[in-house]
Amino acid sequence: MSTAPTPSAPAIAIHDLTKVFPIPFKREVVTAVDSLSLTVAPGQVYGLLGPNGSGKSTTMKIVLGLVTPTKGHAEIFGRPCTSVDSREAVGFLPENPYFYKFLTGSETLHFYGRLCGLSGRKLSERTRELLALVGLEDAADRRVGGYSKGMLQRIGLAQALVQEPRLLVLDEPTAGVDPAGSRDIRDLILRFKERGITVLLCSHLLGQVQEVCDRIGILHRGKLLREGPLRDLISIENQTELVLENASPELLADLEARITLGGAKLLEKRRPQTTLERFFIEVTTGQDPR
Amino acid sequence: MHPSPSTHRIFSPTRLWAIASNTLLELVRQKVFYFLLLFALVSIGSSVILVQFSFQQQFQVLKDVALGAMSIFTWLLAVLCTAMILPRDIEDRTLYTILAKPVPRFEYLLGKLAGVLLLLLLALSLMGVVAALVLYLRQQDVLAGILAHTAPEDLDAAVRELKASTFTANLIPGILLIYIKAAICAALTLLISSFASSPVFTIIVSVMVYLIGHIQPIAREYWLNQLPAGTIVPPLIKVFLGFVALIFPDFQLFNLIDDIVVGAAVPFAAFAQTALLGLGYTAVYTILAYLSFAQKEL
Repeated sequence: MSTAPTPSAPAIAIHDLTKVFPIPFKREVVTAVDSLSLTVAPGQVYGLLGPNGSGKSTTMKIVLGLVTPTKGHAEIFGRPCTSVDSREAVGFLPENPYFYKFLTGSETLHFYGRLCGLSGRKLSERTRELLALVGLEDAADRRVGGYSKGMLQRIGLAQALVQEPRLLVLDEPTAGVDPAGSRDIRDLILRFKERGITVLLCSHLLGQVQEVCDRIGILHRGKLLREGPLRDLISIENQTELVLENASPELLADLEARITLGGAKLLEKRRPQTTLERFFIEVTTGQDPR
Repeated sequence: MHPSPSTHRIFSPTRLWAIASNTLLELVRQKVFYFLLLFALVSIGSSVILVQFSFQQQFQVLKDVALGAMSIFTWLLAVLCTAMILPRDIEDRTLYTILAKPVPRFEYLLGKLAGVLLLLLLALSLMGVVAALVLYLRQQDVLAGILAHTAPEDLDAAVRELKASTFTANLIPGILLIYIKAAICAALTLLISSFASSPVFTIIVSVMVYLIGHIQPIAREYWLNQLPAGTIVPPLIKVFLGFVALIFPDFQLFNLIDDIVVGAAVPFAAFAQTALLGLGYTAVYTILAYLSFAQKEL
């Protein structure tokens, strides 16, 4: 049954969602998701965080219609997740994806494109465009079975984008990928954001989540413990950070004196450091990753 | 990015073909396919080296071996290939990426089955061509002997008799029945695979159902014949027997193939009835497989 999309609807709306899995041959059950409610606005990059077994993947699978909720419901752009047409607007990259090993990168994108109703020249152009976007033009005619982990993630990202979805669901998109590949994927996510694509991101790499997400939710044992704009959640209310460039020792001494005079306390004075990721990329590629 | 109205269609032949052709490609590139096909072709081909019976007997044995090999290998392909397709997609998570696209589950399942049926068609066609070739080569061999040793007045009758003994259009219904029987087994294996925990379990159960399908009509008849005349079968037993007969297809009906091999004229009605029953079972098993797969938590 086709359902009409609601133009002003949130990208994802989850209402009082519960998923209980019975344990076979026992009377016990496991509650994977417990009364979860959250909303992801269009164009937002939302980070769903939590330790292993916290219910992130189950929540994603419910949103994608792969698992049926025990209670509650979820919607994508106003369409119920249980309806197949809600998936017209979604691209999904599972954790550690594998694709048909006998297909080449180009054939893989053709296959997924045909599933989304693309064909002919439009599909060929879209395939070329996506291979260029994820940097796999040179490997387009190589069998996916011979792809490295990073290449698999990138072809996975390309297949998720094949029908130009408005929502991307990414489950650990950088798992097992080297730092340079990981940075490429992060940059792609930022580009999707610029293009107005909503992203639901599950990742254990908190540094990366912090770099790309507007809003986060932290799940633990199926319950949403904290949720909100990332900046609000991680800022320390009563502290202020100043980063100065080319400050002379005299200016610094003057500032310190003023701070004490103003009744504030200087907690720490240090040289800002680059991240290990940036340092690694600079050393291995000779590029300045900033 | 603007919200776009839904262009989704409940059923799309393009999507179905995309899944079916991909499944065919997947199966064709597997070693098991080549191994079984090679074995079948060698079995059919080697039947040419036969002890020298009269040519009528010789051709009957040739056809018997050829259709027997076709039947066994098509069934084996149907069971082994179908048992692997769902678990592999689940294990590799390719199923997630497919069903996360606007692909209904019934379309995915139907596409997978269609891929297997295409493979069976391909394999059976190839086996049929090899069988026809073997029969033709033997026919030419025997024909040379007839031409050399038969009196001119008997030549026409001898050639007619020879041609009637080799590959004739009568064999085609037999090959079609082999295909339909394999289709039932593929749909049945798909049904078991939709809830089974491993491909090995699927294969074992599928083989058991195949054997029961062959044995149950004989067993039922034997048991009923054992009863003293005038015995009224209790209703519960009747229901049980009816249930067994309904669940397990009566593969004995497909013994029409044996009549075809010996050259007996099989009435069209008998062929059509068996074919329709086979297609009916295939459809019912596929629907049940969908109902089970639709409930599956992935």
